[in-house]
Amino acid sequence: MTVALRTVGLGKRFGDVDALRDLDLEVAPGEVLGYLGPNGAGKTTTIRLVLGTLRPTAGRAEVFGLDAQRQTVAAHRRLAFVPGEANLWPSLTGLETLHLLGRMHGNVDTAYRDELIDRFDFDPSKKVRAYSKGNRQKVVLIAALMTHADLLVLDEPTSGLDPLMEREFRGVVGEAKARGQAVLLSSHILSEVEALCDRVAILRAGRLVESGTLHELRHLSALTVEATFDGTVPDISAVPGVSAVEVDGANLHCQVTGPIEPLLAALAGTGVRSFLSREPSLEELFLAQYGS
Amino acid sequence: MAPDVAIASLTARRTVRSAAVWGYAFAAYVASSAYAFATTYKTPGARAKLAEQFGSNAGLNAVVGQAHGIDTVGGFTAWRSLGVLSVVGAVWALLTGTRLLRGEEDSGRWELLLAGRTTRVRATALAVGGLAAGLVPLFVLPAVATYAVGLRGDVAFSAGSSAYLALALVCGAAMFLAIGALAAQLAATRRQASMIAAAVLGGAFLLRMVADSGAGLDALRWASPLGWVEELRPMSGSPRPWALAPVALLAFSCAVLAVQIAGRRDVGTGLLPDRTHARPHLALLRDPLTFAVRLGRSTTLGWLLAIGIGALSIGAVAKTAGEAIADSSTYADLLENLGARGVGARAYLGIAFLIVATLVAMLAAAFVGAARAEEGEGRLDNLLVRPYPRWAWLLGRVGVAVVAVLVAGLLAGVASWAGAASQDSGIGFTTSLEAGVNVVPPALVVLGAGVLAFGIAPRLVPFITYGLVAWSFLVLIVGGFVDLGPWLLDTSLFHHMASAPAVDPRWGTNLVLLALASALVAAGDFAFTRRDLVAD
Repeated sequence: MTVALRTVGLGKRFGDVDALRDLDLEVAPGEVLGYLGPNGAGKTTTIRLVLGTLRPTAGRAEVFGLDAQRQTVAAHRRLAFVPGEANLWPSLTGLETLHLLGRMHGNVDTAYRDELIDRFDFDPSKKVRAYSKGNRQKVVLIAALMTHADLLVLDEPTSGLDPLMEREFRGVVGEAKARGQAVLLSSHILSEVEALCDRVAILRAGRLVESGTLHELRHLSALTVEATFDGTVPDISAVPGVSAVEVDGANLHCQVTGPIEPLLAALAGTGVRSFLSREPSLEELFLAQYGS
Repeated sequence: MAPDVAIASLTARRTVRSAAVWGYAFAAYVASSAYAFATTYKTPGARAKLAEQFGSNAGLNAVVGQAHGIDTVGGFTAWRSLGVLSVVGAVWALLTGTRLLRGEEDSGRWELLLAGRTTRVRATALAVGGLAAGLVPLFVLPAVATYAVGLRGDVAFSAGSSAYLALALVCGAAMFLAIGALAAQLAATRRQASMIAAAVLGGAFLLRMVADSGAGLDALRWASPLGWVEELRPMSGSPRPWALAPVALLAFSCAVLAVQIAGRRDVGTGLLPDRTHARPHLALLRDPLTFAVRLGRSTTLGWLLAIGIGALSIGAVAKTAGEAIADSSTYADLLENLGARGVGARAYLGIAFLIVATLVAMLAAAFVGAARAEEGEGRLDNLLVRPYPRWAWLLGRVGVAVVAVLVAGLLAGVASWAGAASQDSGIGFTTSLEAGVNVVPPALVVLGAGVLAFGIAPRLVPFITYGLVAWSFLVLIVGGFVDLGPWLLDTSLFHHMASAPAVDPRWGTNLVLLALASALVAAGDFAFTRRDLVAD
């Protein structure tokens, strides 16, 4: 089966700044890839290269095997894009905007469009300038989703949406995935990524630093251990694999990389009242990546 | 000093920048008028004859205002400057006033300022004060230029009368800055605010025109802000400085009212109801080409209206003006230098069509500017992330611009013919139409240069297009008085345009210009498909 989105050694320099380097990424049909990274990491640059609005200085991007630069129009027939900031024509109404954008894509499921308008509780008769940020975001969301495009490229698509709409968004993306549409989801909302994505890719300073399923990523990183003691907290800083030791009164907090056995051995007979070990939350995972 | 004073300096900085450009233009216009009159009409006899010819042309008086003492250098200069520059200044002022108040509010930047340590009333008052700072260059630059040219023995303006003329020139701008600020409080969008202020200006102009038409309705002049400016009568020998009172009163009360309203209304709304809901009109939303028509139509109509009225006016005054310049050897030389031959109305129109050509070229520049704004403000992305080729989008915008420019040229031809025919000037319809078509090729070269800039250096588009128009115009005008040499003259687009209808259009040269324009468009379009989209 053809891969929905593939980048090969993709890179972009702006003058002296390396905005993106040597990016290899793949999204398969029916897969949702979460694309994460701090502000300025190069997420939007990647997306604009995939859309062909920027020209790569290295490598290439393909949509269903179609080159994003040389076969732009054919590639765009297969995809739909939601920007994080909806820059629309202020004098057009919501419906007029949807009509124009729909005509330009050429392939619109009007029944589904009306369903989306309903589900997102959107009033399409207003002029764009009268919409709030969230309502403008609904315009670009509906415009992209109503096409049933084979690849959805979403760049912080829920910025400005309220929690109810955010939930609705998760619903429609889930349906899109079930229909076999591929999704590239760039987002800062980690719960959204955790709920929707099969795989995640983490970008930092223009480079891919992690990529894999959530399970794989968790497996690779440290366990968090929290323990409470009856007496004094023993010194475990020399135990192999243990790091980030914090002691607060009778409470111990640390990270363990690799086997947990040495720590358990070290704690035996030290008066442990409670012991909790867990995989890191997505947030801890990313904070570790962002921070270091 | 209170921290919110920064609002005044921010507004002032932005106002002064554009006001300075117009200040220089006003200065050049006034000084060159005085210089040209003093050196062309040297004897009292020549001046008396000129005064009789111009003073008795009802059409001309209606357009630029009543003539007072135009047999003197000062009287002629003031008459020629005041009517025209007051309107130009007023247009600048109403656009600036609405842009810096309502435009800032539309963009959300105003609210950002309001969140600081200020109040709506204080912030608006400070911004209005900042707007007023724009009047300084608009006054000082013409005042200095008038005084400087007045140092010549054959011009001889006193410092006092120079300052009074400059003061009269700035009155239109002062009133319409305040009217613009007030309209910005009434309307809910910048476009609506500009339209309200423009309607006031149109009404004021019409009233003044009726009053000056010689139909015995002189009292109407006091009903029009532009009439008050005319009643100041600078350099006429009988100035009426008390006419400054209604000017100051109107400007002040509009400004105060604007500040008052700003304190009472919600930010983001106007006093007038805003149509936020609208029935969908889908006819022009079929594809990017029809959409370009929809986006550009109202602006284009405004341009066409201005070009049509301008061409009608120059047609209407062609006969009188032609008779006046027929008696002047200096003007004959000027005509010769500008490539116009013949005498009478046709010779005058040959020069006047340079203004038409400039306006039509600016229309072309405006189209490229609008295309760039679509890209710079991020709206173009919505179209180009969909299956539509970049080159076709740009070519569609160019196509719409070409049609608009062609219509503008034809309209200018027909309107100038109509104006001329109303005075039995003896200019044929075909001759006028050809003169109208003749201004199209240079405008299309401006369009082509703009498209090339768009393809290579998009942020430079306004600079390149408007710069090319201004350069072409200035070089030709200066070249009419001073020998610039062929090389410099060749850099002016309008130098390559025959001065129709004074002479027949050079269709061969026009074809070369068209070929050049096409090549520029093709190169620019190609470059556009191979670059990044760039936001402002």
